[in-house]
Amino acid sequence: MNDAVLHAIRTRRVVRALTDAPVEHDQLLTVLDSARYAPHAGNRRLHRYVVVTQPSLLRAVRMVSPGMLQRPTAAIVICVDWAQVHNYGFPPANPGPYIDVGTAAATLLLAAHSIGLGAGPVTSFSRAALATILKLPAGMRPELIICLGHTASEQPPAMRRQGGPRWDDLIQWERG
Amino acid sequence: MTSETEDESARVLDEGDAVELLVYLVTSARTQVDEAAEYAPMRLLTAAGRLAEMTEPNASARLRPLLRDIRQGFSETAVQAGDPAGYVDRLDALCRTVAEYLVRSLGLDRSP
Repeated sequence: MNDAVLHAIRTRRVVRALTDAPVEHDQLLTVLDSARYAPHAGNRRLHRYVVVTQPSLLRAVRMVSPGMLQRPTAAIVICVDWAQVHNYGFPPANPGPYIDVGTAAATLLLAAHSIGLGAGPVTSFSRAALATILKLPAGMRPELIICLGHTASEQPPAMRRQGGPRWDDLIQWERG
Repeated sequence: MTSETEDESARVLDEGDAVELLVYLVTSARTQVDEAAEYAPMRLLTAAGRLAEMTEPNASARLRPLLRDIRQGFSETAVQAGDPAGYVDRLDALCRTVAEYLVRSLGLDRSP
C-alpha cells in the first residue's frame, strides 16, 4: 500500500514562523498547479488565484491581515469571482463557493508540504483593504490567503483549548 | 549617558512602523466584527507585542524591561480557552506590571 498521501496529510502543520529565504518560482508553480486538481463543484472555475512575491506588496498584505502571524516570502490569495457566481444563478447564501475555497486551500497546503515548503492559511484580513491593495476587479473578493515560505526552526505553540470534545465524540456512525 | 528627560522625549517609533501598527489596528477592528470574541484580546495583545518589538531598539534602558515583559507575556496563539483559569490571571499580572511602571516613571511613588 502506498501511504505517501496519508503520511503527507498526517504530517502537515500550520506553519506560523518562516525564514527569509525566498520560494523558488518552480516551487510556486508546483503549488499553484495543484489547485487545478482540487475538487470544485461543477468544475465551474469560480475562483481566482493571485500570487504575491514582491516584498513591499507582501508587507502591505500582512499589514491588513491581523491573522497573519508569519512573514511569508510568497502568498497565494484565493478569490471568488462573485459576478460569475451570480451568473450561474447561485443564491447569495449558497455556501458552495466558500466550500470550494476550502478544498482549494487544503490542496495547496498539502502540495506545499509535499515539496518541503511551510504553509499556513489566513482568513482574518480585511477583504476591502486587500482587494484595494491587489487591485482586484469589481466582483472579485479575496477569501483566503495561503502563506508560503521555508519553515523556521522555532514555531509558536499550536493553539490549545481545554475541555473540547474528543475526536470520537465528533463522529456519528449511521443514523443518530 | 542619556538623562531621564531625554529618555522621555526620545523618538522610539519610525513612521513606517507606526503606519504598520495603525493599519493592523484598523483592519483588526473590521475583522473582529466577524470573528470569535476570544480573538479580541489576542489581537490587542499582538498589537501590544508588535509595538513593544518596534520600540525596543530605541527605548530607554528604563523602558526596555517593560517592553520585554509585554512581548513575553503572551504567545501570539494563546487564547482563553487554552488556559481558562490562568489567562485572566496573566492578563491582570501584565496590567499590574504596566501600572507599576507608570507609578515609577511618573514619580507617583514619591512623597508629595
